[in-house]
Amino acid sequence: MTATVTPATPSSSTTTAAGSGVLRDLGRHRGRLIGAGAAVALVLGAVLLGGGSWPAALAVDLSGPLDRTSDWIIDNRDGHPLFLYFLGHVSNAVVVSVRAVYLVLLALGWAGVTAAAGLVAWRVAGVRLALTSVAAFAVCGVLGMWVPTMQTLALMAVAVAASVLVGGLLGLAAGLSDRMHRILRPVLDTMQVLPAFAYLLPVVLVFGIGVPAAVLATVVYAAPPMARLTALGLRGADAGVMEAAASLGATGRQRLLTARLPLARKELLLGVNQAIMMALGMAVIASVIGAGGLGDRVYQALGSVDVGAALAAGVPIVLLAVVLDRVTAAAGARIGAAPARRAGAGWAVALATTVVVAVAGRLSDRLAWPHSWTVDIAGPVNGAVDWMTAHLYSGVPLVGGTADWAARFTTWVLNPLRDGLQWLPWWMVLLAVGALALLIGTWRTAATAVLATAAIGVLGVWDPALDTLSQVLAAVAVTLLLGLALGVGAARSSRMGRALRPVLDVFQTMPQFVYLIPVVALFGVGRAPAVAAAVVYALPAVVRITAQGLSAVDPAALESARSLGATGRQQLFQVQLPLARPALLLAVNQGVVLVLAVVVIGGLVGGGALGYDAVFGLAQGDLATGLVAGAAIVCLGLMLDRVTQPTERRGLAGKGA
Amino acid sequence: MNEPTRDTAEPVFSVRELWKVFGPKADRVPSDETLASLDATELRERTGCTAAVRDVSFDVRRGEVFVVMGLSGSGKSTLVRCLTRLIEPTSGRISIDGEDVLSMDAGRLRELRRHRAAMVFQHFGLLPHRTVLDNVAYGLEIQGVARGERRERAAEFVAKVGLDGMEHRRPSQLSGGQQQRVGLARALAVDPEVLLFDEPFSALDPLIRRDMQEEVVRLHREEGRTMVFITHDLGEALKLGDRIALMRDGRVVQLGTPEEIVGAPADEYVRDFVRDVPREQVLTVRSAMRPALADERETGPALAPGATVHEAIEAVARTGENARVVEDGRCLGVVDRAGLLGVVAGIPATTGKAVA
Repeated sequence: MTATVTPATPSSSTTTAAGSGVLRDLGRHRGRLIGAGAAVALVLGAVLLGGGSWPAALAVDLSGPLDRTSDWIIDNRDGHPLFLYFLGHVSNAVVVSVRAVYLVLLALGWAGVTAAAGLVAWRVAGVRLALTSVAAFAVCGVLGMWVPTMQTLALMAVAVAASVLVGGLLGLAAGLSDRMHRILRPVLDTMQVLPAFAYLLPVVLVFGIGVPAAVLATVVYAAPPMARLTALGLRGADAGVMEAAASLGATGRQRLLTARLPLARKELLLGVNQAIMMALGMAVIASVIGAGGLGDRVYQALGSVDVGAALAAGVPIVLLAVVLDRVTAAAGARIGAAPARRAGAGWAVALATTVVVAVAGRLSDRLAWPHSWTVDIAGPVNGAVDWMTAHLYSGVPLVGGTADWAARFTTWVLNPLRDGLQWLPWWMVLLAVGALALLIGTWRTAATAVLATAAIGVLGVWDPALDTLSQVLAAVAVTLLLGLALGVGAARSSRMGRALRPVLDVFQTMPQFVYLIPVVALFGVGRAPAVAAAVVYALPAVVRITAQGLSAVDPAALESARSLGATGRQQLFQVQLPLARPALLLAVNQGVVLVLAVVVIGGLVGGGALGYDAVFGLAQGDLATGLVAGAAIVCLGLMLDRVTQPTERRGLAGKGA
Repeated sequence: MNEPTRDTAEPVFSVRELWKVFGPKADRVPSDETLASLDATELRERTGCTAAVRDVSFDVRRGEVFVVMGLSGSGKSTLVRCLTRLIEPTSGRISIDGEDVLSMDAGRLRELRRHRAAMVFQHFGLLPHRTVLDNVAYGLEIQGVARGERRERAAEFVAKVGLDGMEHRRPSQLSGGQQQRVGLARALAVDPEVLLFDEPFSALDPLIRRDMQEEVVRLHREEGRTMVFITHDLGEALKLGDRIALMRDGRVVQLGTPEEIVGAPADEYVRDFVRDVPREQVLTVRSAMRPALADERETGPALAPGATVHEAIEAVARTGENARVVEDGRCLGVVDRAGLLGVVAGIPATTGKAVA
């Protein structure tokens, strides 16, 4: 199928049957055809449509209807049956359960919680992770963040439980019924690529700012991976085992409970792991809509550019993320190994120890983290940041300062890119999007991409959207440059691969929000820091996918190249990179999706554009502005994903051939 | 080998005019004379369908090892799955002990699978998350047998297939041969009337395969359970089978004892198939026998009519005399060097008779 995207391949299909020959020629000259079509459209557009931004006549002002909807919901929240008998109960149930979990955590006291975390980690993942867990919780306390940590934990626990339940049920339906699978898959796939920020506004519209909205946004964000992985696991059950179960006369229920579900345990646990990580990421971001806890501390601190305070709250987030990820991943990795002897006794010991520690803490009246044990790092950190501001921001001989870099990046890259995009006639942007999507994807992805882009114009946020787009493009370019270089390095040098792995592991588990803290410290606020945060966030995934793609290249192909005397360079450019093309395209796709997610959050640190509109809408209660921005973010996400999505076409090509 | 009384007994499985067609509107193929007579490629071009099993009829007699043998794609695995409707046949009749299988409702069919026919699979189909003991007990668990009882019975069968001491291992900790022993024990544990084997030893190393084949022979000798055995290995078929159905492109091209298949191939395909078989080890002395002359009735080594030509050659070579074939003290005939050589060379035994 590579022939369809490399038009230079000589045509030799003259002798084949007429119909298929024409089709094949069309396929072979696809690139040229798209180019020619684009050129014709370019001339036509220039003559008929002229230049300029999205025409006002084609835009629809939604602020009026949206304001009215928002007002109606606020007016009716206490009276309308829909709220009284359904949404109100949902909201109450969320509040009550979060409160209950929080009270349990408080009742256990810091000693009890730390002991419980350590013991669970010990049972599930071994001694090393147990010590890590204990240390992590202790650090949360030492930093003076015990209470917000417990708030975040309570909210997450409820959100994860709900996500696993909802996602598991959806996954069960999709795993057992082909029709449900066909319906759910595109929805889940799309939800996966949308920035977390986009989920906040609709729930706020319905539930208002507060814990229920935060929990529900988290569930909506964290349930899809659980559903996808559940369905994947159930559908991937070994057919031989399922047949053996059937041959022994198992009923449908027995087949599900004794064979299909246990066979999918690995995927189910991976789904729980993913749901937990997504939930943590979202629970922190949801501080914008009243989640409270650690995220709120970061949010408030970033608002006043208090890097020290932001770091004090950010470190516990990172520690929570690392501990939760490692423990659940270890639980997944243990599957298949023989179970330890006396597992029950071990759990009993863990439970008893927790109870003893909690009671001891209670009796000694030490439920709250002792104040004298906390260390205030905000002051010293801010001192260090001030020193950096004074010494590193600008005027460093030869290299310049970080603020200088940011300013130069903004002046020389971001501004021209933004102005250039905004200068482009609107129809030319659509044309470019369509042509690009067609080159990489299918007619269907191209149509979705063009429609999504047009929808942005119709929503009346053309200019801010292009501003966001310019930031995304700049960040993606930097990410790919660095990511491919590092990925190639990691694939070719095992020492570099080993050195990179733990770094990538930690970076990949951290919630998006946390990345904003160091970039603000280094670069201040503005668009350049938002781009920098996006690059740092997306880099690990790009490096990893590139490295894996390159190392997965058929060793026989490499060996034969070596046997022909190819140099390392020739091997890389003539064998490894071409064969790893699917992985590289996936790396681009992932890079784009991840970058967008953070660029949007960059609205919190002066990134402006759509992200700022969304934050502003939430902060000021101006839901119309926020929702329009949110919808535009969704459209932008859809467009960027479809433009870079090669997988569907490969699937189609496989069927066609 | 086959006592005549068995032929008259009611068969365990009786299969008549069985068809399994995969593809769109598969129903019309068996009933349509012209479609039914097409070969595989024509049928695919005309209808988009593939006939895996075509018009197959046979009986499986009580206590015999019935081997279905064919190359991959000949439809043998589909055929054995049709017997318990793991694959739903397109048309035809199947009965077990005279009871119609195709008209069974879901509950009755489950009863059939739980108690009457148990299957051993090529890729074992073990549950990776369970111990050996719990895998063997799985069939009993599905039947609803209480935990203690099923584990007790399972332990008995674990020992029977020679895996004692490994009860608490996981399938992933076992070798391929050991995994298949677990699969065998799981099938035996439900005490089925018939054991169905679907190429059970194809995935195993040759040495392990021989061990397992001997295990099956031993089990059959001890318990006399009816077995339907699918294989693509002719040696395995000849070693285990009381009767063999040789399949090609979904049809049974020949059905008979190993001796009939090797000694009298029904067509060129079968002849080609059995060409390299060491005939002296399959054919019995009956095929090399000629009527005895009067002075030969009392002298020379005596052989049973079921003895192989290989054994006769040994006897003749050792004594230097012609061997007698004796049944119930009566001399049926004589085998001499010419007759034995004829069998080994594949020249029809009529030459021996012609001399007489």
